[in-house]
Amino acid sequence: MSETVVTMLTNAFSVLVFPGLLFVMIVGLLLAGIDRKVLARMQKRKGPPVLQPFYDFFKLMGKETIIPDAANRRVFLAAPIIGFVSLVVMVVLIPIGGYTPFGITFNADLIVMLYLLTIPAVALIIGGSSSGSPYAGIGISREMVTMMAYELPLVIVLLTVALKVGGGSFCFSLGEISAWQETNGALITHWELIPAAIAFLFVIPAEVGTQPFDVAEAETEICEGPLVEYTGAPLAMFKLNTAIKMFVMTALFTVLFFGNAVATEYLALNALIVVAISAGITVLSMTLAHAVCARLKIEHLFKFYWTVVTALAAISLVLVWCL
Amino acid sequence: MFKKIIAKSMSKSPWIYHVNTGSCNGCDIELVAVITPRYDAERFGFKLAGTPRHADIVVVSGPITSQSKDRLARTLEQVPEPKVVVSIGSCPQSGNVFKGSYSVEGPLEKYTHVDVAIAGCTPKPEAIIEGLYKAAQILQEKREAMEK
Ligand code: SF4
Repeated sequence: MSETVVTMLTNAFSVLVFPGLLFVMIVGLLLAGIDRKVLARMQKRKGPPVLQPFYDFFKLMGKETIIPDAANRRVFLAAPIIGFVSLVVMVVLIPIGGYTPFGITFNADLIVMLYLLTIPAVALIIGGSSSGSPYAGIGISREMVTMMAYELPLVIVLLTVALKVGGGSFCFSLGEISAWQETNGALITHWELIPAAIAFLFVIPAEVGTQPFDVAEAETEICEGPLVEYTGAPLAMFKLNTAIKMFVMTALFTVLFFGNAVATEYLALNALIVVAISAGITVLSMTLAHAVCARLKIEHLFKFYWTVVTALAAISLVLVWCL
Repeated sequence: MFKKIIAKSMSKSPWIYHVNTGSCNGCDIELVAVITPRYDAERFGFKLAGTPRHADIVVVSGPITSQSKDRLARTLEQVPEPKVVVSIGSCPQSGNVFKGSYSVEGPLEKYTHVDVAIAGCTPKPEAIIEGLYKAAQILQEKREAMEK
């Protein structure tokens, strides 16, 4: 009896505090703040404080929530929550420094990941289409094209990693992938996987939707696309989702390419290392691209992902297959 | 406690929406100058929002022409509470050089409550930043008043 109570409590803790809800909220918003601050420094500005995303979040929480007459009320309000829940589920599945909160690793959690990753984007599409604004209509069509563009290289990268770790067959377990790297060294140090890692670095900003790949939310041309009618708390949720996506994607990169190789015995230290690596990858893949590039057009984005990025990922796959 | 944080955040993260009601474009350019690296209003948390739905501060420039009158009213209605209206330049205050024209229906006070008026033709970016900063403080006061 008491055992079940204890497991229930620990499960609740891992969903609500670490590595679930509270942890990702704080780390996600922190990463977004670091991104904005470093971007400002790259442009020789002083920039907003690192805590700026927290201020934005709380401010939006305090604003009035307007639901347009043309909107489908229930879907309009549920969309941001669907995206948020799927992101929290994803974080609980990622073994941060080899720590899996439920003590189990699924055989195919990489595939579950792949499905869960699309849900926030789908939530954005659903929310946008239910708001009944023509700007949102353009935004969601662009969001769909963006999704198609980055999914292909992402799948190939995941296949490459699974093939390398499985050695001849595919290994889709994140737990095993990160454990494998403890004995064989981090995957990033295997030269044939470096193109795949670069491809993944390109997938991150498109998945998160930061400039120059934020065609779906281009605020200067289509008024933030799917978010055009959102105000107050739902908008705060969407902004939070973007911030959490930053952490989820960079943490996924850490697990796939660094794994347990950087893990220590202490859980708190591991979490700190993962957050530090995530911050580094955020700066490398998102801030740098934002600082040097203007926003792409949707057809250029599609072409870029299906040629350059897919080619990088495919090179790795072929190399891993042949060697 | 959350109420305090929310009220404090109001003054730290004001998003701006800019409405041009027939201005000569001088004020618009100065407003853009405010967010360039040289003046960098982002260090106070200012950001240009793409849609009035996301805005906290509505910045109005220009003398309110007959064409833009209804559109201005419609835009102001779309902004969620609490909101602050800032007029920029002399045009919305008095009509400035456009005063007496058949198509000018200013001043802005006729249509809405103006919280901060930044005078000048054009006002300097420093003046605009100061005005916007004051507007952010007013935003916090309005939020605190909403609580009561
Ligand atoms: S105040 Fe002067 S600069 Fe500004 S819009 Fe009017 S005429 Fe142009």
